[in-house]
Amino acid sequence: MFEWLSQMENTKPLALVIFFVTFVGIVIYVFSGKKRAKRLESYKNIPFLDDDKPASQQDPKVADKDQDNG
Amino acid sequence: MKFTHESIEINAGLMIVLTLLAISIGGLVEIVPLYYINDTVEKVEGVRPYTPLEQRGRDIYIREGCYTCHSQMVRPFRDEDMRYGHYSLAAESKYDHPFQWGSKRTGPDLARVGGKYSNTWHVQHLNSPRDVVPESIMPNYPWLLKNDLDYSDIAARMRALRIVGVPYSDTDEEYQANVEKFGAEMAAQFDIHQADRNLVAQAEKGNFDGDRSRLTEMDALVAYLQVLGTMVDFSKYDEGYFTEFR
Amino acid sequence: MAQGAVAVDTQYDYDIVKKFAIAALFWGVLGMTAGTYIAAELAFPFLNFDMAEISFGRLRPGHTSMVIFGFGGNALFATSYYVVQRTSQARLWNGGLANFTFWGWQAALAIGVIGYLNGITDGKEYAEFPWYVDILIAVVWVAYFLVFVQTLRRRSQPHIYVANWFYLAFILATAILHIFRNLAVPVGLFHPESYSVYAGVQDAMVQWWYGHNAVGFFLTAAFLGMMYYFVPKQAGRPIYSYRLSIIHFWALSFMYMWVGGHHLHWTALPDWTSSLAAAFSIMLLMPSWGGMINGIMTLSGAWEKLRTDPIMLFLITALSFYGMSTFEGPMMSLKSVNALSHYTDWTVGHVHSGALGWVAMISFGSFYHLIPRLWDTRMWSTSLIYVHFWLATIGIVLYIAAMWVSGIGQGLMLRAFDDYGNLAYTFIETVQFMHWPLVVRMLGGMFFVSGILVMCFNVAMTIRAAKQEQAALQGAMAAKVARAGA
Repeated sequence: MFEWLSQMENTKPLALVIFFVTFVGIVIYVFSGKKRAKRLESYKNIPFLDDDKPASQQDPKVADKDQDNG
Repeated sequence: MKFTHESIEINAGLMIVLTLLAISIGGLVEIVPLYYINDTVEKVEGVRPYTPLEQRGRDIYIREGCYTCHSQMVRPFRDEDMRYGHYSLAAESKYDHPFQWGSKRTGPDLARVGGKYSNTWHVQHLNSPRDVVPESIMPNYPWLLKNDLDYSDIAARMRALRIVGVPYSDTDEEYQANVEKFGAEMAAQFDIHQADRNLVAQAEKGNFDGDRSRLTEMDALVAYLQVLGTMVDFSKYDEGYFTEFR
Repeated sequence: MAQGAVAVDTQYDYDIVKKFAIAALFWGVLGMTAGTYIAAELAFPFLNFDMAEISFGRLRPGHTSMVIFGFGGNALFATSYYVVQRTSQARLWNGGLANFTFWGWQAALAIGVIGYLNGITDGKEYAEFPWYVDILIAVVWVAYFLVFVQTLRRRSQPHIYVANWFYLAFILATAILHIFRNLAVPVGLFHPESYSVYAGVQDAMVQWWYGHNAVGFFLTAAFLGMMYYFVPKQAGRPIYSYRLSIIHFWALSFMYMWVGGHHLHWTALPDWTSSLAAAFSIMLLMPSWGGMINGIMTLSGAWEKLRTDPIMLFLITALSFYGMSTFEGPMMSLKSVNALSHYTDWTVGHVHSGALGWVAMISFGSFYHLIPRLWDTRMWSTSLIYVHFWLATIGIVLYIAAMWVSGIGQGLMLRAFDDYGNLAYTFIETVQFMHWPLVVRMLGGMFFVSGILVMCFNVAMTIRAAKQEQAALQGAMAAKVARAGA
């Protein structure tokens, strides 16, 4: 085992295994657990925390000019 | 403290460090070995730095943005072999700062254009491409014949190139090393102290722009084009030799 | 609204965002016009007019620098300064330094582009700026990094929103790429030219490590930052999956840096390097599409917005082009496809499906969202947004289709043999063949430029209307105060 590791030409499969395991690890970590899911997903509302515009202007449709601005 | 992904999301410093780590690995793995692995650049005879005149021609090639339409990299395909010649070797551009392999062939590849056409053809073609190739879409470069070549800074240019690794000689030892490596005639060309004289002499001898009375930018550019791809004598090598390096 | 506007003005620094947004449109018009002009020069070479300054070789770096660093760069400064403030609920740190990034960046562009026209160039694609401009850019970039990170540190809540991760990765990666690609020795202290410290094959690898990551981080990661803020805001609903965005971010950051070598297939670069690059290019399809799906699915359940909201149309079309070009890219990085596509117009078409379809469209969409908010008003005309959308889309389609024909056609002609094993076509015959595709490409460019001109008009009218509204409002307030006093 150690001998296999010490050979230069084996770095490629080794790197592949390390990166792949890391990747799978991150995916499992991120997508497992109900509590974690809820917590992580809660952050997606950050852009909506500072709404300075009233609902009438939130409407992406460009509203009529004479509409009340509040 | 338990480590979670939030530890990164709430800590700008940690995020910076981890991002740097993630983006550094790829470049390091692919670039650093190119300096250490012996077979990145083949061992072939004949490749030499550019003479002062050729180097000035190369500067003009870069100034006019020739690389935006012409590559200098023949690939190992049958059609390219027939059209341009032997595929390019890494060794052939080892003195090129910067490289000019290019990325687009609006016009043909120029890696082996040296010696294919006469000086007169090049002058006519650069001055007015459609006079020689009616369908060409290349711009005219009439100013190359009009502008006198500025070679006042040639020594400074060679000094800068020497710093980045081109073996132009400043001292006697370097000169002697060049004599051994490239022969006495070429070594004289690479001597920074004789640069002006060498440049003028080569232009007069080569008469690249067809007008001996003047030293123009055309002289330099044609001198450069005429040396492209001519340094390695491929008849000396067995084809199998180069594939070892690929 | 007046009170609200005052509050927002003091809470956030919008002046700097406004300046960068206008600068982006300014360079966008110049850069895209230059692009259309050089496209015309290829179709009709007399347009070079024997003038050194506007000959293709000198104007082309002007085009690429103005659209990438002028239009794209200024759009990124504008949106990143806006997004980092809005998602941190904090005012931009050090307005003076932010102002320096503005003028420094415009100066770098102006000096660089005027230099190109006069023949001052480094001769390294997308890194053509001479050494003194490189130094100026490096200084501006450090200031940018400081302003961005210090603003993040002022955030009013612990969490850093995902859009800012992408902007941060873009700032870091661009710094590294810029510095290492531009290491060079100047000919003299007062000499504009310099020689790259790398030579030949190493220079080539550094070039495309830089060149492709300019695409990966400058033109992709940063614009994804834009996407992660403006798509949810415009749709009025949060991003589809925050967890997917975590995977998206790390996978993209890690993988992009490997793929530059695919620009050097079949060259004198050792095979292992370009093969490795190709393998990563193909894997990169996954995070790319992950991001695209994340963006598009944000609209899930609210698809009718596409029918009623032209801004949404811009954003979603941008994501579709992103998906298309991130599929085309890995395909072109396969060695067998690359053998045909490389050096031809197919590559140029691919770049533009990304640059026009993704980068420009997501920027236009974000700007249509951003500009009314900056000036506290509404876009002057909704129909003109539709007009812009269709001009841009038709332009892109014409452009890409023409480049497919020209690129694939030329690639096939160059490798064709006759019955005797000789080359079937000379090089110049392929140039002749390309004439009509090149004309169509030029037309596509004209459509796209008309589109951004329509946008500029619309934005100018919006700003004018906003100023009139504010003046009227102030007049009314003054009258009220006067009445109350009397």
